[in-house]
Amino acid sequence: MINNLRAIRTAAGMTQAELAAKVGVSRQAIIAVEADQHDPSLALAYKLSSLFGLPVEDIFPNPNTPNPIA
Amino acid sequence: MTETETMTPAARTYFLWTAVFMGVYVALNTAAIFGLFDLLHGPARWALAMAVTIPILGHIWAVLGFIRQSDEFVGPLTARRFIVAAGIAMGALSAWGFAESYADARHLPGWMIYPAFWAAFGLASVVVKDTKR
Repeated sequence: MINNLRAIRTAAGMTQAELAAKVGVSRQAIIAVEADQHDPSLALAYKLSSLFGLPVEDIFPNPNTPNPIA
Repeated sequence: MTETETMTPAARTYFLWTAVFMGVYVALNTAAIFGLFDLLHGPARWALAMAVTIPILGHIWAVLGFIRQSDEFVGPLTARRFIVAAGIAMGALSAWGFAESYADARHLPGWMIYPAFWAAFGLASVVVKDTKR
């Protein structure tokens, strides 16, 4: 799933390892999500949403809506 | 299976059990190769064959435990590689078996399936890098 996680994480000044520790997954999982090699579970998407204080769709734009990465 | 610098509890457990089971496997085979069990006969030889198999079953159990205990990316990724590797190893060893039957290929012992599986797992790890459909 194409997403804005890398941009949001770097804007927050967080490393992949720090983010992984905060949401309880491996660093490989964060790398894979950012590289579009893994579609996160809804539980992980909600954890990321809560951590960054953003709606889920700001991190993972809905691919079914027009112009999702606007 | 995972980077040591960020080794997860699941990976640590896996490496511990792998060291234990592979240690027993190597020790038993080394002892057999150097003739320590040469005086065994009949059922005792079957017992030796089963004893060498137990560490392999244990290692498979450790891999399945790693898959179960890993997170939502590493677990499914390892499972996917495991399935691909099993397919490659079964296909390759089946092909070799038919080559033995029909083309006089040199005989390979059945226990070769396990090292062949892990060789295939290495290949699968290069090819399978995501968990997406």
